[in-house]
Amino acid sequence: MDLARHDAAAVSAPAVRAAERSAILACVGLRKIYRMGEVDVRALDGVDFELRAGEFLVLLGPSGSGKSTLLNILGGLDVPSEGRVFFGAEELTDAADDQLTAYRRHHVGFVFQFYNLVPSLTARENVALVTDIADDPLDPEEALGLVGLAERLDHFPTQLSGGEQQRVAIARAIAKRPSVLLCDEPTGALDFRTGILVLEVLDRINRELGTATAVITHNAPIAAAADRVVTLGDGRVYGTRTNATRARASDLRW
Amino acid sequence: MWLNALNRKLLRETRTLKGQIFTIAVVLASGIVCFIALRGTYASLLASELDYYDRFRFADVFAQAERVPETLARRVEALPGVATVQTRVAKDVTLPIEGLSHPAYGRMLSLPPSGVPTTNAIYLKKGRLPERDDEVVLLEAFAEAYGLEPGHHVPVVVNGKRRSFRIAGIALSPEFVYAIRPGALVDDPKRHTVLWMQRSALATAFQLGGAFDDVSLKLAPGASEKSVREGLDRLLAPFGGNGSIARKDQISNRIVSQELDQLGVLSTMVPAVFVGVTAFLVNLVLGRMIRLQRPEIATLKAIGYSNVEIGRHYLGLVFVVLLPGSVLGLAGGLMLGHFVLALYGTTFRFPNLEFNLTAGLVATAVVVSAVAALAGAWGAVRSAVRLPPAEAMQPPAPARYRRSVVERLGVSALIGTSGMMVLREITRRPFRTLLSSFGIAGAISLLILSHFGLDSLISYFEGTFRREQRQDLAVVFAKPVAPGVVAELARVPGVLTAEGLRAVPVRIRYEHRARDSVMMGLPRPNTLRRLVGHGGPEVAVPADGVVLTQTLGDVLGLRIGDRPEVEVREGDRRTVRPVVVGFVDESVGMSIYAQAGTLAALEGDLGAVSSVLLKVDPLRTAQVDAQLRRSPSIIDVSDARGDMQRMLDMNTSFMNVWTAISIALSAGVVFGVVYNNARIGLAARARDLASLRVLGFTRGEISWILLGNQALEVALAIPVGLWLGRAWARQFMSTVDQETFRWQVAIAPRTYLLSVVVTLFAAAASALWVRRSLDTLDLVAVLKARE
Repeated sequence: MDLARHDAAAVSAPAVRAAERSAILACVGLRKIYRMGEVDVRALDGVDFELRAGEFLVLLGPSGSGKSTLLNILGGLDVPSEGRVFFGAEELTDAADDQLTAYRRHHVGFVFQFYNLVPSLTARENVALVTDIADDPLDPEEALGLVGLAERLDHFPTQLSGGEQQRVAIARAIAKRPSVLLCDEPTGALDFRTGILVLEVLDRINRELGTATAVITHNAPIAAAADRVVTLGDGRVYGTRTNATRARASDLRW
Repeated sequence: MWLNALNRKLLRETRTLKGQIFTIAVVLASGIVCFIALRGTYASLLASELDYYDRFRFADVFAQAERVPETLARRVEALPGVATVQTRVAKDVTLPIEGLSHPAYGRMLSLPPSGVPTTNAIYLKKGRLPERDDEVVLLEAFAEAYGLEPGHHVPVVVNGKRRSFRIAGIALSPEFVYAIRPGALVDDPKRHTVLWMQRSALATAFQLGGAFDDVSLKLAPGASEKSVREGLDRLLAPFGGNGSIARKDQISNRIVSQELDQLGVLSTMVPAVFVGVTAFLVNLVLGRMIRLQRPEIATLKAIGYSNVEIGRHYLGLVFVVLLPGSVLGLAGGLMLGHFVLALYGTTFRFPNLEFNLTAGLVATAVVVSAVAALAGAWGAVRSAVRLPPAEAMQPPAPARYRRSVVERLGVSALIGTSGMMVLREITRRPFRTLLSSFGIAGAISLLILSHFGLDSLISYFEGTFRREQRQDLAVVFAKPVAPGVVAELARVPGVLTAEGLRAVPVRIRYEHRARDSVMMGLPRPNTLRRLVGHGGPEVAVPADGVVLTQTLGDVLGLRIGDRPEVEVREGDRRTVRPVVVGFVDESVGMSIYAQAGTLAALEGDLGAVSSVLLKVDPLRTAQVDAQLRRSPSIIDVSDARGDMQRMLDMNTSFMNVWTAISIALSAGVVFGVVYNNARIGLAARARDLASLRVLGFTRGEISWILLGNQALEVALAIPVGLWLGRAWARQFMSTVDQETFRWQVAIAPRTYLLSVVVTLFAAAASALWVRRSLDTLDLVAVLKARE
């Protein structure tokens, strides 16, 4: 099914080189300082970053490198101490709470390490949480079909495996047809086989829907599946590389 | 689409919280039940009263005299501000009813020839108006007490002659909504009645042709009651008028008004407890729910739900509580309201007493409950709304425990590690412990509040019988008689002591303040009617000067040595200025006491008695009764102890029902507070407790760790609740007309005990209920589960 036409920010085809694409999400000189007791902790220390339309980006770094902080700021869950954030031409840096809410509501899809499903809702209803409030959403059934869970619509999270729960979370994230999909260690809580399955779904969503996708991971082999890889450490960007070819998720090994 | 995913989430979660939601709904419903029942009864009684008074032209001013020529009525009518005047003949009679130890007391009132008085019309419930001289209309309560119907006959001693009257009709009157015989403590439908008959017949029996001895007025709108009364008193004075009274002092109206005032206060005081506890419980449960749902809140925010939407979602729980609580409360309130009103209906007789559930009442109950629950929810919901999404992603900071001051005192050795866990849990959340205790204390105070009235009354009677009124019988005469009657009665076989009393209506003035009062002449020695000062010492009646009840002294601002002006309101109407030599501490009435001799001098006669107090050999009571029944001049024989017993007997069924209701309501609150606290404690600490079970702790030991908190809360609540109940009772009494009653609030040990026992039972029941969950704690599952 060709869903690309629904995506405002999507571009012609995934085959286009990443470098040629425009940035959909960008930040400049980003700093985030948390005060913990007597000490200031610099979670981000001058990060310049961009996520380009339609690309699949992996943000690689060890635990404590500032990946999640960066993702939270890019996703409008947190605000920077310094620096500027842009979504397309729109600046998010000093956006008010309701503007950030609208941004998340209409443009961002989140996938979390621990799925964050509402335990009292079925798979279909967890997706409906989003479709109830989005402007032009997919049907929950359609979104769940995209992640291969058409048969498990009425199961509660506790009745699903970890991989299935994560796929519900992905269906929930894409159901609003987001401009960007931000995934925080989406395979972190899963075994290898299930992790591959989840990555395949993310890969397919990116290729078919053209949704710009950023995946945070500390798991280096996953980087092979990306168009671009940004490496983070101690709150700074250590390097950015572009993969000549993007590996298939099913070919990954770790 | 109201059943969106978020609302489904709410509904599913309420299912898992059903026990907690149910207990909160019950507490909320209890508040509504009390409010609807009490306030509804209050409003219904008030509406019935106003309507009754209006339709049956209840008078504004009442006065009595001895014999007033009918022509004076015109002059009364001509007083500025008087709208209508109704004169009549009103006389005391007795009814020697078969099987009654003393004759019943009756007030016989004349009806005008038309049968329809311009004031104080009667409401004929059965039969018709009297058409013959030997027909009467009888007060309903008395007729019911003896199963009398129109066509039956009643024996009446009229002016010393025994006659038999045919009952033509049975009626109610706005003058006798609460019918109580003068000097009695409570109403007694078997021993007091009112009879209406044609004026000509009654006037003939008492030689009052062309004259009246009782008059009542309606005032024109805007008229000055004070100046009308002054004018009326002036006109009646030469004819033995002893001072008019205003509607507010008319005995039936005064008692109904007092009861209404009390009911009005009660109808806001009692629901307040439930409202407070509801708010607290909603806060407790919702607060916990929100803490547990941090990750879900974070997710909702991440996927774009606004703060308003999230706030509304959690506030939805309030409506889940409010809906069943309101339905239950309104249904229960309606039932209890009908019941309470029906109980009032047996004492307060209105033509149409219907429980009126107005939209305003329902709206107030529901809105106040909703506001309370929302207020309780507000803090918890605000914390959910304020939670920054990135922070909500992180697990909450672990609970911080620290060594408390108590521990530093070295109790740790005494209470052991388990005790320490309980103690630290409490010191970590002292405010919650205090609020919980306060909620339970509120329930305890409700129980005390529902019982203190009767306790105080019994204590008053017992105290009065022990100290002040030590007679067995009080014999009252139709009019003052020669003092020789005391010696006569003393000679009746079985009478141990007889002492005469004289009561004279007076008006007492000091500076600009004045009150109508009764001056009592006491014999010397006065062993049966004693005067007792503050704290219990007997006050001797001085040969010169007067003793006042403390209330009267306070109202007039009198001190010992002052000389108020006392105007006698009968006979020659002399005015004297006796010196105040002391005060007595009596709960009821505003009286002045002097020696009989002093009073005789004031009246300018050789002394007379209006009543005689008797101490009777208990084995010969029947004989004495028989003797007293034969004397036509005796209008009433009262037996205060018997009155008290009758009152208690009459109140027993009412009190039993009220006790059951108050126990149910209070137990509901205690159960709700303990249950919710324990459930939340369990949810928060299941992991710790399961770990302890893994370490080898028994079920009993972990139960103590969980329920120890609740036990301490209850232990703290009990003394606070008992104190609060007493304080509340005092506050309540202070709203009662201080001039008429000045009860000391007395709470029987029985009542304290009942409150404590009910609380302990309710707390134990809810603790056991929660303990069942501890017994089935799945160790493995709990240890695996993430908080």
